[in-house]
Amino acid sequence: MKTEPTFADPHAFYDRLVRAQEGLTEEQREFLMNSLVLLMANQVGDDTVLAACIDEARSATLDNYATDGAS
Amino acid sequence: MKGYELPTFPFRRAPEQDGQQIRHRVAIVGGGLTGLTLACDLALRGVETVVLDEDDTIGVRGIASRGIVYEQRSLDIFDRLGIAERMLETGRTWSVGRVLSGEDELWSFDLASDPTLKHPRFVNIQQYYVEWYLVDRLTELGRTDLRWKNRVTGIAQQADHVALSVETPDGPYLVEADWVVAADGVGSTVRALMDIDTHREGNNDFWCITDVRLKQDVPVERHTWVEAPFNNSKACWKHMMADDVWRLDFQLGQCDIKVEAAPEKAAARAQDTFGDGVDLEVVSVVPWEYYYQLIDDFRHGCVLFAGDAAHAFSSFGGRAGNSGIQDAENLGWKLAAFLKGQAPESLIDTYQEERHPAAAFNVWVTQRSSRFMAPDHPHERRLRDAVLNLAKRHPFGRAMVNTGRLSDPWTYDDSSLTTSGGEAIADRRVGDQGLFDSLSDSTAFCAIWRPAADAPDPLMAALAELADDSAASLETLALCPAPSGLANRLGDAGLTTVADADGAVAASLKLEPGDCLLLRPDRHLAAHIANATAAEITTARDRALGLVEGADH
Repeated sequence: MKTEPTFADPHAFYDRLVRAQEGLTEEQREFLMNSLVLLMANQVGDDTVLAACIDEARSATLDNYATDGAS
Repeated sequence: MKGYELPTFPFRRAPEQDGQQIRHRVAIVGGGLTGLTLACDLALRGVETVVLDEDDTIGVRGIASRGIVYEQRSLDIFDRLGIAERMLETGRTWSVGRVLSGEDELWSFDLASDPTLKHPRFVNIQQYYVEWYLVDRLTELGRTDLRWKNRVTGIAQQADHVALSVETPDGPYLVEADWVVAADGVGSTVRALMDIDTHREGNNDFWCITDVRLKQDVPVERHTWVEAPFNNSKACWKHMMADDVWRLDFQLGQCDIKVEAAPEKAAARAQDTFGDGVDLEVVSVVPWEYYYQLIDDFRHGCVLFAGDAAHAFSSFGGRAGNSGIQDAENLGWKLAAFLKGQAPESLIDTYQEERHPAAAFNVWVTQRSSRFMAPDHPHERRLRDAVLNLAKRHPFGRAMVNTGRLSDPWTYDDSSLTTSGGEAIADRRVGDQGLFDSLSDSTAFCAIWRPAADAPDPLMAALAELADDSAASLETLALCPAPSGLANRLGDAGLTTVADADGAVAASLKLEPGDCLLLRPDRHLAAHIANATAAEITTARDRALGLVEGADH
C-alpha cells in the first residue's frame, strides 16, 4: 500500500470528490461512495494491497472514534 | 397437494432378533444419499454392510425433492457405481442461465458442457431418484442388508466392536459391528448420543421450496433472482428437475415460517413467479433454513461420520449432497483396503485428513454466499445495492455478485497419501464411451500412461510386469493411436489400450510419452510421474495406501 502522495494534484482530486456528491441526498451519497470504493478497488486488484487498505481504514476509523482521549 | 409417489420397503425381522449372533464388519446408520452411496461403493469392493434406516422409504415420504443438483464429479462417481445412466435419462440438464435483480437481467451464461468429458457439468434431478436408483443397485449387487424401520437409539463402543441399540416395530435389538459409519443426516442421532459438538452457527434465513408442474411449456432456463420483484425483493431460484417439475426456492428471511409457508401463500408466490397466464399445480411445499455445522473429528474410535452428520452449510452451490457423495467416495476404498488387509488402519485416519479441510472450505465459501444473499445489516444491504447496480454496468461488478459457486471436487495435494497432484481425474469421452469403461476392475488403482513411439519402452515392460502381478492389483490404460502396430504390441503384452487417435485425451491429462498417472481407487491422482519406473509407481501406490510414512512434497 502506498502512503506517499501519488496524485499529480491532490487538491484537484479532493475537489472532484466533493463536487461529485453535489445535489445528492444522504442516501445517494452513501451509494456513490460505496460504488466508488468498488470501482477503485477493482483498479488496484492486488489482494495484499486491498487488505492493507481495508485494515488501515478500519484502524484509522477506530482511532478517530476512540473515547479514551489516548489519540 | 400431490407430492411424489415413492416405493416403500417392508420391515423384516433381522436374524439377530431371532437369536443369531452376527458381527458385521460395517454398519451404516442412515439410508440416505451419503449412506447409500457408501454402501454401494463398499458393495462393489466386495464389502458386505448392514444399513439401518429409521423409515421404510426414501425421500422423506414423498413430500420433498431436497437436493437436486448433482455435479460432474458426482456423476463420475455414480457412473462407477452404476446409476449415472439412469440419472441422466431421468434428469434434466439446462445450459442457459440468467441472473436477475429487480426488473433487470444482470447477466446470462451458457454452461454448455465440455464435450471432451464424459459427463455434463451437472444434472438436475430430485434427490429421491438418486436414492431410489442406489437402492435398486444395492439390491442388484446383493451385498447389502438394507434394514428399514430400524431406528438407532443407543451406541456403545466395546473393546473390539461397536454395539448399536436399534428400535424396530418388533421391539429392540442390538447390532454389533467392527465399524460404524454415521450417515444419519444433519440432526444425527449417533452424533448426539456421542455428545459431539457441531459448532453450530445459524443465519435466521428461512426459505421455502415450492415444486410446481406447469400445464404448458415455458423456456427451460435457470433463473436466479438476487432480488425478485414477486418475492418482496428477496431471492428466488427457478430451475427444472425430472418429470417436468419446476423447483422454485423462495428466500423468506426472518419471518413466521408457518404463515409464509402455508399452501395458499406458497401457491400464490409460485403463480406470481410464472405470471397469471400460466396454469400450474403445486406438487410440494417444504420450508427450510440453513445453518453451519462442522465436527472436529470425522473419526471417533471405530465410529466414522459422513455427509450432513459431519458437516452442514447453506445450499448455495449445491455443496451439501455433493460433498456427502465425495465423503463416501473417499472413505469407501480406504475402509475396504483395510478390511482386506491391504492397508494399515492409519489409512482410515486419512479420511479425516483429506475430507475435513474439504468440509471446512465448503463452510467458508458458502458463508460468504449466504452473507451476500442475506445481508445481516442495513449497511451490508446498501453495499450490495451498489454491487448489483455496478453488475448491470460492468463485468467486474458481475464478478462480485455471489449467488454461490457450484460444488466441485477437493484436491488432496497436501495429503500424506499424495506423491504429486491429488486432484480428481474426470472421466473423458473416448468415442462413444468413457475412458474408464475400458477397465476390467473399476475398483483398483489405475495407471494411465503414454507409450513411447518406438521400442524399447521401459515403462511398457514395467507395467506389463505390474499388471501381471495379481498381488499388485493394478489396472493400466495406455493412450495410443489405434489401430496400430503399437496397440497390437501392447495387447500382446496383456496391456489395455485406449484409442486416443489425435492425442486429445493425453493432452488434456498433460501426459507426455513415458509419463504415468497413478490414480487411486477413488480416481484422485496419487502421482504424476515423468519417465516412470516400476519402483516409482509401486512406491507411489504404497504411499497412497498409507504404507509409506511421511511425504516429501
